[in-house]
Amino acid sequence: MKSKMKRILILSFIFVLILVFVPTAQAQVKVTFWTAPNPPQEVFWCEMAEKFNASQNKINVYVTAMVEAPTSEATLTTALAGGIAPAASENIIPGFGATLTNSKAVVALDTLSGFDEIIEKRAMKEVIEGWKFADGHVYILPIYANAMLFGWRIDILKELGFKEPPTTYSGIMDVGKALKVKYPDKFLIARKELIEPTWWQRWFDFFMLYNAASDGRPFVTGNEVTADDKAVIKVFKFYGDLKANDYLLTMAATDPFETELSIWRDLGPWSFSGWKERFPELVLNKTFVAVPPPLPDDIKLSYAKTFADAKGLVIYAQRSKEEQAAIWEFIKWVFIDPINDLAWIDATGMLPMRGDLATNYTFDGVFKEHPELLPYADEMAYAVPMIANEKFADIQTTLSDQGLVPVILGKKTPEQGWDDAKAAIEALLKK
Amino acid sequence: MRNSRNPHQVKKIGWVEVRGWSFTSPYLVFTLIFFILPLIWGLYLLFTNWNLISSQKEFIGLLNFFEALKSSRVHAAFFTTYKIMAIFMPTVLISSLGIALLINSVPKFKGIIAVAFFLPYLVSGVAFSLVIKGVISYNSPLSPIFRQLFGYIPDWLGNPTLAVIVISLMITWKISGYYALIFLSGLSSIPKELYEAADVDGATSWIKFWKITLPMLYPALYTVMILAVGLIFGIFTEPYMLTGGGPQLATHTWYLEIYYQAFSAMRAGYGSTIAFINAIVTFITIIIIRKIMEGWGKAYGPA
Repeated sequence: MKSKMKRILILSFIFVLILVFVPTAQAQVKVTFWTAPNPPQEVFWCEMAEKFNASQNKINVYVTAMVEAPTSEATLTTALAGGIAPAASENIIPGFGATLTNSKAVVALDTLSGFDEIIEKRAMKEVIEGWKFADGHVYILPIYANAMLFGWRIDILKELGFKEPPTTYSGIMDVGKALKVKYPDKFLIARKELIEPTWWQRWFDFFMLYNAASDGRPFVTGNEVTADDKAVIKVFKFYGDLKANDYLLTMAATDPFETELSIWRDLGPWSFSGWKERFPELVLNKTFVAVPPPLPDDIKLSYAKTFADAKGLVIYAQRSKEEQAAIWEFIKWVFIDPINDLAWIDATGMLPMRGDLATNYTFDGVFKEHPELLPYADEMAYAVPMIANEKFADIQTTLSDQGLVPVILGKKTPEQGWDDAKAAIEALLKK
Repeated sequence: MRNSRNPHQVKKIGWVEVRGWSFTSPYLVFTLIFFILPLIWGLYLLFTNWNLISSQKEFIGLLNFFEALKSSRVHAAFFTTYKIMAIFMPTVLISSLGIALLINSVPKFKGIIAVAFFLPYLVSGVAFSLVIKGVISYNSPLSPIFRQLFGYIPDWLGNPTLAVIVISLMITWKISGYYALIFLSGLSSIPKELYEAADVDGATSWIKFWKITLPMLYPALYTVMILAVGLIFGIFTEPYMLTGGGPQLATHTWYLEIYYQAFSAMRAGYGSTIAFINAIVTFITIIIIRKIMEGWGKAYGPA
């Protein structure tokens, strides 16, 4: 009896050991995916992971929002330094992508099986060319692009006698003049960030106008400043003139466009969900319109390029090959089916990066349900992503400190401001 | 002879020693992980151009130091700190001392009132900055009052001088209650007999404050001054949220520059160098303030 008991105990012990230490063929690979610190995006990715996990049992994807402490780039950097990077994350801008790529911290996605299928199914053959790095590889899979537009209070424009928003710098000055006559306390634009050095704010003021004025000429290529000098000076002068004529408010103001303190602003599609709740009176084509940036008077184009607030996802080289392969399976699963893009639009209100938004029947209903997204879809072909240079923050900070801000404050002429900024940017690129 | 100890004999570790080390070990481990190791790592980074991500770390000697000492952004951080200090130190001393005297004079509920004044210290800097941003914004309900008083709405954050004043006063509001607690404990330790003797001599409240209260508060004053200097060199949230360091670097602080270099420009080595220079400048400033305070203490403080 005793020996039988002993045998059972030994067998049980061996069985437990086998369960604990011997990986079975069915062992699940657990991978982590970090989303942007934006609740709608987190909701989308959690839903995707839940469905993916339920569809198979080899991979378990855990989704969590990265902490914005105080930026997602800072969070990712410290995670990489600490060796605790996730398998993949979204919210990667091209500039930060350049840093990650040069530091060999991310995986070349075009070397993974199934990459071509994703690009083909999303009709992104042309788009993806713009996301290739110097070595010809793709390290960031672009997820979405917000072609930035300007919003106009069309109700107030009509009161002032303008049927449509102005499309040129002089047209804007005419609106400013009419506005000050009728409403001396209102402003054309209220943007305190224009006199702050915060580098990323330049995307939503300077680069929107610069890309239009230069027809999208690259600001920096490699280690050279290749900006269109005349276009930069025109943009500097325009903002300087707005301030000099008291059309630009650089003081802090709460919801100035929404409360009619100002009638013109940069406008991304992420504003609409908040407006629905807080400012339901803001209705497309009734109280506001979203249009491409204005052009300098001497530039005659039938379109105007703008800045693309584009972000993508990367897979981190720090994780094991097994984890990289597992997260890639998840990414493929999400991006091959266009139904998931519909879920993305529903959750975030932003347009996914696809070349067939206007032609794929899956999206027929989207613009009927979200007419405010239509101008953004139309402008997508003219949207230029940010500078893909490792020194992106320094370049844009120098542009502010040496050029734009002193010009707006009347301390430098536009020419002097650009000469100083260009020289300083060239010096830092050569370091 | 029997009691003489062999110097080569290893002392046996007893239960008392083990217990002592085990009690202090959480603090020692914490210090090792969160202070000593990062400090050593930070010192190593001073001489590299590492971006925190790359596997390559190039040793570049003192180049980071030369660059930092020439940088206009570092110069701005240096001067901004002293500008804020010039406003913050007198305002925080007056307000915290005022709060302490006020609480001390209240016959009942001193504890509750002291806690009420301490609450701003616990308020999130981000939330507080957002509230202030709303209050001083162009379209805030207060703007018409300013327009009536001055004929215009002050550009609180766009004017370099006003922006520094706003940030200094925000920190004063936040920290006064905390420093008031230190002063309050100092006030409670002043012997009542001193005031009674002064009353007998016919001293006014004004004279009693300058001749008894303030000198007797020397230890508390000393502590508050040193804490305040340390605090000023670590300002980040308020300028980050309100001005981004602008206008034209008028509110650019050390921590803003360290953060920008390490996490925006991805230059951890250079950011560490600025942090190191900041530590040196803080240390020197504290020594100067200490010397001034000790001189004042010798002349006017309690014997």
